[in-house]
Amino acid sequence: MAMSFRLRLALLFVATLVAVQIFTALLVYGVARRALIAEGERQLGVGAAAVARQLDDISERVADNVQVLALDYALRSAIAQRDQSTVLSALRNHGRRIGAERMLLVGLDGAITSDTATPVDNGEKFPFPDLAEAALEHAAAAVVAMDGKAYWMIVVPVYAPEPIALIAAGIPVDNPLLARLQQLSSLPNTIELVTDAGDGRWVDIARGSDKVALASALIAAGHSLPLQPTVVSVEGREYVALATRLRESQRSTPVAAILGYSLDDALRPYRSVALAWLSLLALGLGAGLIGAMLIARSVAQPIETLAATVHRVETGDYTSPSPARGRGEIGQLTAAFANMTHAIGEREERIRYQATHDAVTGLPNRLAAETAIQQALENTPGAAGALLMVGLARLPEIIQTLGHTICDRVMRDAGGRLRQFAARGSVARATDAQFSLWLEGAAKADAIAVAFRILDVLREPYQEADLSIDTAPAIGIALHPQHGGEASTLLRRAEVALIAALDSEDPVAVYDPATDPHRPERLTLMSDLREALDRNELRLHYQPKLRLADRRIADLLSLHGVAPRNIVLELTESAVMDKPEMAIQVLKRLADQGIDLAIDDFGVGQSSFAYLRRLPVREIKIDRLFAQKLDEDVGDRTLVRSIVELGHRLGYRVTAEGVETRAALEYLRDIGCDHAQGYYIARPLAPEAVENVFASGGRGSAAAGKKA
Amino acid sequence: MRVRHFVVPVLVFAVAPALAGELIVRIDDGHGRPAADAVVTARREGDTGQEQHAAMTRIIDQREETFVPYVEIFRPGDEVVFRNSDRTRHHVYSFSPAKTFEFVIAPGESTAPVVLDRIGEISVGCNIHDRMITHLYVSDAPWIARSAADGSAMFDGLPAGTYRLQVWHPQLRPGRPEPVQSVVVADAPATVTFSLSLLPDPRRPGDRERSSY
Repeated sequence: MAMSFRLRLALLFVATLVAVQIFTALLVYGVARRALIAEGERQLGVGAAAVARQLDDISERVADNVQVLALDYALRSAIAQRDQSTVLSALRNHGRRIGAERMLLVGLDGAITSDTATPVDNGEKFPFPDLAEAALEHAAAAVVAMDGKAYWMIVVPVYAPEPIALIAAGIPVDNPLLARLQQLSSLPNTIELVTDAGDGRWVDIARGSDKVALASALIAAGHSLPLQPTVVSVEGREYVALATRLRESQRSTPVAAILGYSLDDALRPYRSVALAWLSLLALGLGAGLIGAMLIARSVAQPIETLAATVHRVETGDYTSPSPARGRGEIGQLTAAFANMTHAIGEREERIRYQATHDAVTGLPNRLAAETAIQQALENTPGAAGALLMVGLARLPEIIQTLGHTICDRVMRDAGGRLRQFAARGSVARATDAQFSLWLEGAAKADAIAVAFRILDVLREPYQEADLSIDTAPAIGIALHPQHGGEASTLLRRAEVALIAALDSEDPVAVYDPATDPHRPERLTLMSDLREALDRNELRLHYQPKLRLADRRIADLLSLHGVAPRNIVLELTESAVMDKPEMAIQVLKRLADQGIDLAIDDFGVGQSSFAYLRRLPVREIKIDRLFAQKLDEDVGDRTLVRSIVELGHRLGYRVTAEGVETRAALEYLRDIGCDHAQGYYIARPLAPEAVENVFASGGRGSAAAGKKA
Repeated sequence: MRVRHFVVPVLVFAVAPALAGELIVRIDDGHGRPAADAVVTARREGDTGQEQHAAMTRIIDQREETFVPYVEIFRPGDEVVFRNSDRTRHHVYSFSPAKTFEFVIAPGESTAPVVLDRIGEISVGCNIHDRMITHLYVSDAPWIARSAADGSAMFDGLPAGTYRLQVWHPQLRPGRPEPVQSVVVADAPATVTFSLSLLPDPRRPGDRERSSY
């Protein structure tokens, strides 16, 4: 594209130059040609007059010669004495002297008395009496046609001493004559003598030295005798032709001279000019081309540089383009473009900074922190690391009391302290009220130690004027790789840990998956379940419940077609706590169908007995947390016994989950717990396994437990 | 121009009824310019008699390569003598039918008298000097006169009667009839005008050389 631009510019330049030159050349040629034609017409006009005058001069000289002959005493004497033989021989002799082909002696009465060409008929008249008439006053000459030949007829009187006769000398009008005339005078080279052939056609009788056939060309072009200047082309060469009638005898055929002015010859001096002009044009073209290329390059190269820079900018490279060359428009453009690129770069830098940093504290934001941590994790896969989430418990209170401005200042202050402290970690503002600190390579103990030191740093109250604000910091810790392999997971879990820390007395908490209500497995379970249902992949596993009173496992009926009264639906507390009214309605409908309902995981939630009383529940299942430590924990034993007693008193059946030891089982039987469930009794079983158990073990009634 | 006033009134009749007649003939060249050296002859109708007169010898001088006079009137039987007053030789000749001669005259010499016994015009030239020319007009007419420089020829004492006038001039076109007029001469003077068509004067330089188409 740059090349074509350059090429186009150069071509435009060259084309313009050539067009102007050609136009000029045509103009000059046209003007020169017109001027030359005008010059030719002028010269021919002068030439035509000159031809007549020169023929006069020549005629005078020839006539003088004839006159001198006529004064020859012997000739005169012979004429006076009518000595015809002598007269004839003298005429021949004198005719040769002057180049006459025919000499005649004419009497004053107009009769021919002697003729060197033919014997004289008696009484034959000289055919040009007007010449004879004129000759007595002055020597007469005219171009005449005689016996099919053109003659220049010169007639002079013979004085003895009075006129006694006339001598007529006939000089043939032919090329030698014209050549002789041209030698004698400055007749133009391009001259043609023509005579009327009798039918109005003009035929040439003599041509000048360059033998140009003007007349035939004129006739061929449809012209008549060109008494006005006429441009005619003869054998490819252009002539301006002009005819002038020659003085002729009244009795003779008209004779004219056609003069030619060769435009080609006239143009010849201009050829060197044209050659010089062509050379100049070639030089100009060369110089123009080089100049155009140079200019094009000086324009195109910066544009190409700019284009390259644009591509660089497109890919995010904001290094300035090469400094502007020259002060022209391109230079200005380049400078402006450099400024723009610089500004864009700065703006993008600012946007990127804003996108990755918190405006209040100047710390990296959560996104940046996550990116950085993820980067660190990927750089050293499997290495230990700890993510500390630092929260200020009193921040909502501060905002409500002192407003966001103070809050921002408190956060900025805290951020500053953290940054100062965290030499080996990267601090970021994870949320409005939380900072994150990534400790690369830190194990749990390191992380906890750091956490306490941070608490020390942050517990120093924020001071402003007479305010002294205690921010009540707390820290949650998530460890890599135990608590997650991804930065986002670690951040989330550290936050969960922080929330736990904020809720507890201990201001530092390490993430505990068991207490994480937000662990994503739940979400996964729900979606997996839905998916399994859709694909008919759901398989039921059964975990037997042991009836403690008779130590039998409840009957497990055929797998298909269980009666509703044999089904117990287990609900976690949280499942019904979100929308209690709707839950109660649903549950009542289920109970009406004869399905028993049980509260699962009882004891770890926040359910109250008052609330439970409203539910159509027949059974409570004590959370495994309590059964697991029945062996060792007296408190748990007391708690379990109390729950059992309380449940019974409220009319519920009571089942203990998570029974893993014989001692726990014994204890539960002792305190009157209705059922026990757990690994000690049986793991969740596939249907085939259930049949095996029943085939080998004792019979008994059992409630079907559901485990996916 | 040197012109010798040269009128020759000649009485040719012994019996003249009246002698008071006067005739003026004016001759021009057709362009209003007087024509000198024209010879006018007058003959009265009815006259038949011959006039006898004594023979005379006239001299034609050659001075400064010019014959003097240009035109001279002779009576048959008169003699002419050519005299060379120049320092150059002259080759005087005549091819005229009335008299043919040829003399080479040394400077200062004269020819022997030549008798002009025949009527007619004799053109005399010099073979050495083309422009030298003179005309000897030999006539037996009773009255004859030559026009002067002012172009007029005077006749006096003409008997009354009707006269036939004929004019000759050396520059008249050859081969053409000479102009003729009749005039009645009585007591009162008569005037006749001739307008001639004349060729260029052969004596003047340039005229012959100037040729034209």
